[in-house]
Amino acid sequence: MIQTETVIRANDPVGGGCRRMMLDAPPEYGNARPGQFVTLRFPDGSGPLLRRPFSIHGVVKAADGTVGVELLYKVVGGFTQRLSAMRPGGAVDLLGPLGNDFGVDASARRVWMVAGGIGAAPLAFLARRLAEMGVDMASCALFMGGRSADDLISTERFADLGMAVHATTEDGGAGEAGLVTAPLAREAAISPPDVICACGPMPMLRAVAGIAEARGIPSRVSIETVMACGLGACLGCAVETAGDEKGYRHVCRDGPVFDGGWLKR
Amino acid sequence: MNDPTENGPDLRTTIGGLVLKNPVLTASGTFGYGREFMDLIDLDRLGGIILKGVSLSPTRGNPPPRVVETASGMLNAIGLENVGFDALVREKLPLLETLGTPVFINLYGTTVEEYAVLAAASDRVDRIDAVEVNISCPNVKAGGAAFGVDPASAAAVTAAVRSRTTKPVMVKLSPNVADVAAIARSVEDAGADAVSLINTITGMAVDLKTRRPKLANVTGGLSGPAIKPVALRMVWQAAGAVSIPVVGIGGIMTAEDALEFITVGASAVQVGTANLVDPSASVRIVEDISAFLSENGIARVTDMVGALTV
Repeated sequence: MIQTETVIRANDPVGGGCRRMMLDAPPEYGNARPGQFVTLRFPDGSGPLLRRPFSIHGVVKAADGTVGVELLYKVVGGFTQRLSAMRPGGAVDLLGPLGNDFGVDASARRVWMVAGGIGAAPLAFLARRLAEMGVDMASCALFMGGRSADDLISTERFADLGMAVHATTEDGGAGEAGLVTAPLAREAAISPPDVICACGPMPMLRAVAGIAEARGIPSRVSIETVMACGLGACLGCAVETAGDEKGYRHVCRDGPVFDGGWLKR
Repeated sequence: MNDPTENGPDLRTTIGGLVLKNPVLTASGTFGYGREFMDLIDLDRLGGIILKGVSLSPTRGNPPPRVVETASGMLNAIGLENVGFDALVREKLPLLETLGTPVFINLYGTTVEEYAVLAAASDRVDRIDAVEVNISCPNVKAGGAAFGVDPASAAAVTAAVRSRTTKPVMVKLSPNVADVAAIARSVEDAGADAVSLINTITGMAVDLKTRRPKLANVTGGLSGPAIKPVALRMVWQAAGAVSIPVVGIGGIMTAEDALEFITVGASAVQVGTANLVDPSASVRIVEDISAFLSENGIARVTDMVGALTV
């Protein structure tokens, strides 16, 4: 974990009101793990007060040893509006890598990923890392859901690795019409994977965890909450998890990735 | 004439006989148990650290959502989630054993007797250098603020703690009162070595789409730059009412903010929400206070305490 003021190298629109940002990062980011996140703020203290969390979308190691960290974000509020106006060369305060990871290693053979819109961000990093570890990506798959075709972001990153991509849209504008959980349930009934990793809205994550549990498939879900410090200090990002009498879990410290079975339904 | 800033200005300040190397403390609840920040900053550069508030038994805290950002501030309703006193001493304090800077424990109870038991237990722990008594948390129903809004009950808690520990006792006051000077005087009379203020201001935020409160607890405590003017006013009032040191808290983001509190009468300050926003804020504020004093030819930070001209 390191806090640094760093430079934006790229900040390009990728459709669906989303942008992909590349930041210079300290060498420590070479060890970042899929599922981990960073927090950003504007170094001059302008803009919203609290830092904002972003999943790590990718880590690029150049031949000269420099490291870049990629973020994929949707413009939804004041912070991301300001971020979207930043140009290459602009500075941000970067803190990370934070949190845990998907916990999927090279022993996994058939990994399915389920993304709801911008939820593709950490999963693309996971797919890339699994490919680097020698996992046969042709036996892995992405299930990607959105409201409309615009929400199907970054699917090329998965397809380029040889993964099958099952796309769904609620308006039927692209892929199969309906929710992403429909093809997921259908395919899982035919030939279940070794593990399902998911990131997206909470109702989607609950449904995915339910499908996985019904088939006895382990699931790992990445949760997004309002967060203040990201360090486990303020305890603001509490989530209630099933069978958890002792207390709440905290997304920044115990997550952001949880076993699907822990989700309260 | 000697240059008073030749060796750097003297940042030392004293609270209840405890000498702090500089006037910057980290506010309870914004700095965890210290460990959370160790990878990011050198804790020994701080005047002291104040741990997350602790109760006798572990406390689960409030349901989520617990935090919401508001204009220039944040509302929180954590509900004093904590590991409990025994676990704090067993699991958290050993990580601070090699720390040179003072460690303040922050205590809260649901009865006067619980405060007394916690104070006595704290007295037996060497790593605890001082005690901050929280009678002002707005986010728990029993205890907390219930003791802080009335001079008599504030005094009762203070006296109970005072009688059970020889360590410096600082009482953290609530802004959610009509007359903070009266509360400050009553805890001074009851034996407090210092008062710290302000805790958060009770507030609320509403989601118009759902017509529901944004916090599960409905109300929460407002912190951050939004509360600084209110905090300055109350610190000024308290400092005018007591002769014990006053520690200023409320929206401090910069050294200038900290020095404004010192100017209205604070002997030290606590940095809170800024730690969440920028983990290096407290250390930067120490450095910038030193730079300010040097640039202005001020030899000692204590020369600034109460320097306000009205």
